[in-house]
Amino acid sequence: MTDYDALIPLLVKNEIEFIIVGGAAATAHGSSRLTLDLDIVYSRKQGNIERIVKALAPLKPYLRGAPIGLPFKWSVETLNKGLNFTLITTLGSLDLLGEIVGGGDYEKLHTETITIEIAGVQCECISLQSLIKVKRAAGRPKDLEVIAELEQILDETREED
Amino acid sequence: MSAMMKQQSEQLKSISDLDPVIEAYKKDIDRTLIRENLRLTVTERFQQLMRLQRFAEELQQAGRKATQRK
Repeated sequence: MTDYDALIPLLVKNEIEFIIVGGAAATAHGSSRLTLDLDIVYSRKQGNIERIVKALAPLKPYLRGAPIGLPFKWSVETLNKGLNFTLITTLGSLDLLGEIVGGGDYEKLHTETITIEIAGVQCECISLQSLIKVKRAAGRPKDLEVIAELEQILDETREED
Repeated sequence: MSAMMKQQSEQLKSISDLDPVIEAYKKDIDRTLIRENLRLTVTERFQQLMRLQRFAEELQQAGRKATQRK
């Protein structure tokens, strides 16, 4: 299980610049579908990468699905060399994404977010309209049903307004 | 243009092809579930998700045990 109530406040309290995307963002907007991880787009600024490494180190991040014993070192150098990391931590599965199809990087996506409150902290989450846009851009078959639900949610929220 | 952006551009061209499939899926979406979720706070939605994850894990474990018994 991914402990969102612990993981998200940890990121916020360590002043990490991130945006919730993917299935967790869908949940935030009202989706009833099961997702197992937390996907975030993170700022690639050096200070932010340093804060991510420091904040997550106690959670023993490791490459999800990789055989135990790989020479994976959780460090600033590792994050600088890569872009997207699918991790397993002691608080659950966490995907660190430097950019996403249809949404770009943190700086670009930053203009398409809303502020949400979860477990007593405020953080950024991709807007419902933008989430639909990136899911459409990804064009993955598994996302088609998700897009259908998200568009229904959009209709419901418009009707509420 | 990065490889990712090039891929994105190609995928955007085919987006309109997806619409009939998405529309077909919409017919089976339970809007009462959506309305229930929209009444919850974001925190409550994540707590509900975590309960669902725990339930899925229990089901997986039960399934594994049942397979081992065979």
